[in-house]
Amino acid sequence: MFNGLVLGALLALISSGLTIIYGTLGVLNLAHGAMFMLGGYAGYVVFQATESFVLAIAGGALFVMAAGLLIERLIIRHFYDRPPEDQILVTFGLAICIVELVRFFFGSLSRSVPPPPWGAGVTNLGFMLYPTYRLAVVAIVAIALGALYFVLYRTRLGMIVRAGIEDAVMVDSLGINVFRVFMVVFGIGAMAAGFAGIVNAPVVSLTPDMGEAILVQTFVVVVIGGVGSFPGAILGGLIAGQIISITSMINPGYAYVMLFAAMTLVLLLRPRGLLGARSRD
Amino acid sequence: MTEREPSSTRTFKSRRNFLRQAALTGAGATLSAVGLASTGLVSSACLSGAWAKDEPPMGTWPTGSSGDSVFIAISVPRTGPYAVQGEDELKGYELAIEHINIGHPLIKAISPKTTKGVLGKQIKHGVADDGAKPNNAVQNISRFISEEKAVLMTGGTSSAVAVALNKLAQREKVLYVVGISGSNDTTGKDCARYSFRECFYGETAANGIGPVLLKIFGKGKKAAYLTPDYTYGHTVQKSMSEYLNKNGGWTTVTNQVSPLGAPDFSSYLLNIANSGADVFLNINWGRDAVLSIQQAKQFGVLDKQKLVVPYQVPFLAREVGGDLMAGVYAATDFWWTLEDKYPLAKMFVTEFEKKYGYKPEWGANACYLQFAFWAHMVEKAGTFYPPAVIKAYESGEKLQSTVGEVWFRPEDHQLVRPVVIVRGKAKSEMKGKEDYWEVTEVLPGGPLMQKPDAFGCKLGAYT
Amino acid sequence: MNTSRRLHPRPFLYEALTALGLIAAPFVLPHLGFAPNTVNQILVWGLFGIGFDILFGYTGLLSFGQSAFYGTGGFIAAYLLTQNILSSVMLALLVGTIGAAVVGLGIGVLALRRTGIYFAMITVAIAEMFFFIENSPLSGYTGGENGIPGVPAPRFEIFGMRLEVGTGWSMYWFLAAFYFLGIVLALRIVRSPVGAILSAIRDNPVRAAALGHSVERYKLVAFVIGAVYAGIAGGLLGVLQGFMPPDAFTFETSGQLVMQTVIGGVGTLFGPLLGATVWLFLSDFLQQSVGLGASWKLVLGVVFVLLVVFLRHGLIGGIKDLHRWLRREKAPESQVDDGADGLAAMDRPMPGIVDAAAPDRPRERDEAAGPILTATALTKRYGGLVANSDIDFTVRRGELRGIIGPNGAGKTTFFKMLTCEIHPTSGTIEFEGRDITGRSVTDVCQLGLTKSYQVNQLFSRLTVRQNLTIAALADLRGRFRLDLFRNPAHIPGLQERVEHAMELVDLAGRADTRVSALAYGEKRRLEIGLALATSPVLLLLDEPLAGMSPRERVETVRLLKSISRGRTMIVIDHDMDALFELAQWITVLQEGRILAEGTPDEIKGNSSVREAYLGGVLAP
Repeated sequence: MFNGLVLGALLALISSGLTIIYGTLGVLNLAHGAMFMLGGYAGYVVFQATESFVLAIAGGALFVMAAGLLIERLIIRHFYDRPPEDQILVTFGLAICIVELVRFFFGSLSRSVPPPPWGAGVTNLGFMLYPTYRLAVVAIVAIALGALYFVLYRTRLGMIVRAGIEDAVMVDSLGINVFRVFMVVFGIGAMAAGFAGIVNAPVVSLTPDMGEAILVQTFVVVVIGGVGSFPGAILGGLIAGQIISITSMINPGYAYVMLFAAMTLVLLLRPRGLLGARSRD
Repeated sequence: MTEREPSSTRTFKSRRNFLRQAALTGAGATLSAVGLASTGLVSSACLSGAWAKDEPPMGTWPTGSSGDSVFIAISVPRTGPYAVQGEDELKGYELAIEHINIGHPLIKAISPKTTKGVLGKQIKHGVADDGAKPNNAVQNISRFISEEKAVLMTGGTSSAVAVALNKLAQREKVLYVVGISGSNDTTGKDCARYSFRECFYGETAANGIGPVLLKIFGKGKKAAYLTPDYTYGHTVQKSMSEYLNKNGGWTTVTNQVSPLGAPDFSSYLLNIANSGADVFLNINWGRDAVLSIQQAKQFGVLDKQKLVVPYQVPFLAREVGGDLMAGVYAATDFWWTLEDKYPLAKMFVTEFEKKYGYKPEWGANACYLQFAFWAHMVEKAGTFYPPAVIKAYESGEKLQSTVGEVWFRPEDHQLVRPVVIVRGKAKSEMKGKEDYWEVTEVLPGGPLMQKPDAFGCKLGAYT
Repeated sequence: MNTSRRLHPRPFLYEALTALGLIAAPFVLPHLGFAPNTVNQILVWGLFGIGFDILFGYTGLLSFGQSAFYGTGGFIAAYLLTQNILSSVMLALLVGTIGAAVVGLGIGVLALRRTGIYFAMITVAIAEMFFFIENSPLSGYTGGENGIPGVPAPRFEIFGMRLEVGTGWSMYWFLAAFYFLGIVLALRIVRSPVGAILSAIRDNPVRAAALGHSVERYKLVAFVIGAVYAGIAGGLLGVLQGFMPPDAFTFETSGQLVMQTVIGGVGTLFGPLLGATVWLFLSDFLQQSVGLGASWKLVLGVVFVLLVVFLRHGLIGGIKDLHRWLRREKAPESQVDDGADGLAAMDRPMPGIVDAAAPDRPRERDEAAGPILTATALTKRYGGLVANSDIDFTVRRGELRGIIGPNGAGKTTFFKMLTCEIHPTSGTIEFEGRDITGRSVTDVCQLGLTKSYQVNQLFSRLTVRQNLTIAALADLRGRFRLDLFRNPAHIPGLQERVEHAMELVDLAGRADTRVSALAYGEKRRLEIGLALATSPVLLLLDEPLAGMSPRERVETVRLLKSISRGRTMIVIDHDMDALFELAQWITVLQEGRILAEGTPDEIKGNSSVREAYLGGVLAP
């Protein structure tokens, strides 16, 4: 169950990115998993160059944010007036392109980023031995979520973003450059995923395909927590983490399928999720 | 207001429309039937007229070998979880083709009758990416067969692919040499007359490494297994636990079954860590193996339990990194340090490194050998006629290889060959960049194999 | 005017072209570098996609879960054949397809409770769960990750000749026959009334329901159709390869289907076939001819993104646009759909005598001019806010009632309760002697109570004629009818109803113009026309004059007057001059309550009404 907390923390961070993108722009970013992966690789490159873990995190996150801004500006922006299926399709295609580009440059051989020295090894928690770095991940994620919370709830930009989640048209009518807001939101959302990607890199080894599984889990979290809800993403992430870990104790093979079953249940009974606001249909 | 046609006209029109539609559908159906019949008629006429030989044509024979070149169909994963191993296999294949075409001495050592090419014909080949998915592999190979009249097909890496291609080969009557495939079923219950496997597999791995483990660790130990949830995983796990439990009184304290491509093994590893096992046997393959071992280290499993990899993965040590593989025992098909023991291995490793810049893993070796053996069999049969080549394989002739003398067992088309036991080297022990493993034993394969009919192999027909 | 010619300009053109194309393909395609196996795969994908296109292209439901039915159909057929339970391939395919349809029905009932993104996500979850079930719990039957090998080839006895379908081109004819049949059926379906309603659902499901169609059931029909096509395609895949792969169940399979359909063109039925051709050709081409190795997927991904970005309607859409562009170049004076036409039409005076009286309609006839609608103590509360409070309201048959009131008076809420779009917190509504409280808007429309909306709720991708046809179909066919193969031209009275409605609102000259090309005034007229086409006994009009210029108002008032003959109408509007001219009796609402009721003159003179509106003087 404790392990579920750790699993959930990471999912919470990635999902918060996806949910604010969907909530504000109305775009279901199927390239989110690819951005997670991209962050991992970007951080890897920085790490190879500088041997500094902190710089790697910063580099990875910033790179993916830049990529997100670019993608939004060049491609996504032209899709706001197109039907939602087109948006889904273009992000789907972008995901493939990003994954294959990374494979082109880095090959399929997995890359590893070692944990920083202060995070290496195992901690004795009393009831179990647990990798120190995973504990560090929870802390790092908590800080990141805190920062995201601060931006969303304590800054002017964040207020505009939250207003945009509720009613983008209204925000536009108020004379605020919605497109710039959208671009920033997309960048922030992407950055959240990329940040998670490099933070998670010492836990898994990097391969181009690693974003795919994460993407589907992120959907589950967003649905459970409620689309467009930042606290919902956190709650959903924690719940998903628990579902995985508890099912693993009983029958590990079913762990990920239980996620889907839970998602279906939520969609049928309470589609706006636990903390979601109105539906965006 | 609207014109209103008299009802009689309308009924007539609707009847006319109906008739028209019926006629159209009928035409479509008749044409299809005619097409079916005519294709059958045409093809049989064509073949019986032009190719009057003693044997009736079958598969891609003789069309595929009537020119001055022959085509080999290759399907490997170049994307997806086994891409790394797939690329390595491909290199083995391509090196073999190059050598056969020029009549390289290494090939001549395995296939003495080879001059240039196979029966004088140069080999052309095509490669398609199947992403380790059986459906893609079947489609890729089928396309090569119908378009290029491939005389030989190959593929594998995933045993699911191998089994699917076994069936395809049998159906299409085109020879299939298996690349990497670890499941018992490939030459067991899913065997095929048209398919031949060179590499070691679950049963021989278990029987090979079993005694070594008993020797190193002793009797009565507790074993934890991490098994990927598909046939390969289950058969290897079963073979291993049967051997160890029966012969050494070991107990299986837990068998954690993980889905293929699991992104995180923490739940399974926590269970293993808490199981109190002495030995941790990781049956995962490809990227799953790399990830699960790295995470096992993170969870401290490797500090308390000894890691064993019953079926080794190419590039495992390279990818896992660090000192994680130090002291780890594995059973494998080939390791480049065998060059000290077998002259052909030395030649192979040298040539491979010359061309590709790194020392070959066992996938490349398996694939090279498969093509070399096939060239030999065709030369021996003197023809590309599949049943004749198959019979050449089934003659039980002893062949030279990079691991000494080997032969194909006629009952299930499995190559009888040694299993190599290796032990991972610590960084401090490594004498070179690629000196990851130390070969501790080379066990003769024969005694390690199950009885030919033990796994339910029923080879199909020759024609 | 022959409607059937209008609805399908050249009947059987597409069927004939398909037949021709299928017959010519084996002779033409090899020269373009297509192997028979590739062509066969394309056919299977194309067939798979027909059903998906009906679901997505025509009904607007994006499903990423078609692989579940593809795999189900395929594995059932393969299992039956390899376990020797059935020896006839055709029979096994049939059972597999039925299995897929049943599963589709079950899944559809669950998944269709949601729409849009949520629906798509449920389908993703379903796909993943099916794959898991195939791989693990049921692997004894399905062979797990190995699939089911050894699926036999079909065998026939025709005219005493025994034919075995082998691989290559003989399999082609077998598959082509299925594809042809699939296309013929699909063309029939999309041209049928059900097909028209599916298009309406894609455009505006709310309005489709409000016009009297049981939208949930039609969606389920579309979903099952998608499952049926998937099931038969899955079975054929097994037969084609002699092997039923587990990949049939993967999410990637669903994804590839979606991508291929988008590439080819959504909503064209042939899009999936074209998309599969492009996809398979490119994967082959990029790997073999160009020798890209592992990067072929990158190029394919880029191509896909470019197609989505630039060709909004896929390749077929691009071809159509090109065709249109060429035609425009050749004949500049030919009609072009733009607003200019609409504006010109506005200046034409309304035609004179149109028999706008309600045509005969078989309804329970209560000839006495008694009350047709009675609302009693109708109240609607939203949490603490009371939108309507304790309203007693009666309308007599044949009356033209006006409702006015300042903003926020609760007029729209009141209307919504009358049409059962929302349900009252308390109170009852009786329509023609029936208690309709709490019923659905679809039911109520079928009973004869319809509304035209304040904000146009039209089917914007359809033409005027098609819009009105949708409305008329609900009236003539009831909530739901499974007439998938019926030719609309054979529905008695449909043509007349549609033409009549068009003339009533003076849109006959714009019959085949798309709604998106109409001027605002024309759209408003169509809005009213839609409600009229359902032959309502009681017609509610929510601000019919909204947003109109003075001239448009005059004409619309004239229209309303002409259609009020023989009908009962209730009109809400802010234009009091117009209402006072039109209505015989006016109800004034304020703050959710009835403030006053009376003849227009009485209301004009009512001081509390004046105060409520202006706090002062009402201009006479």
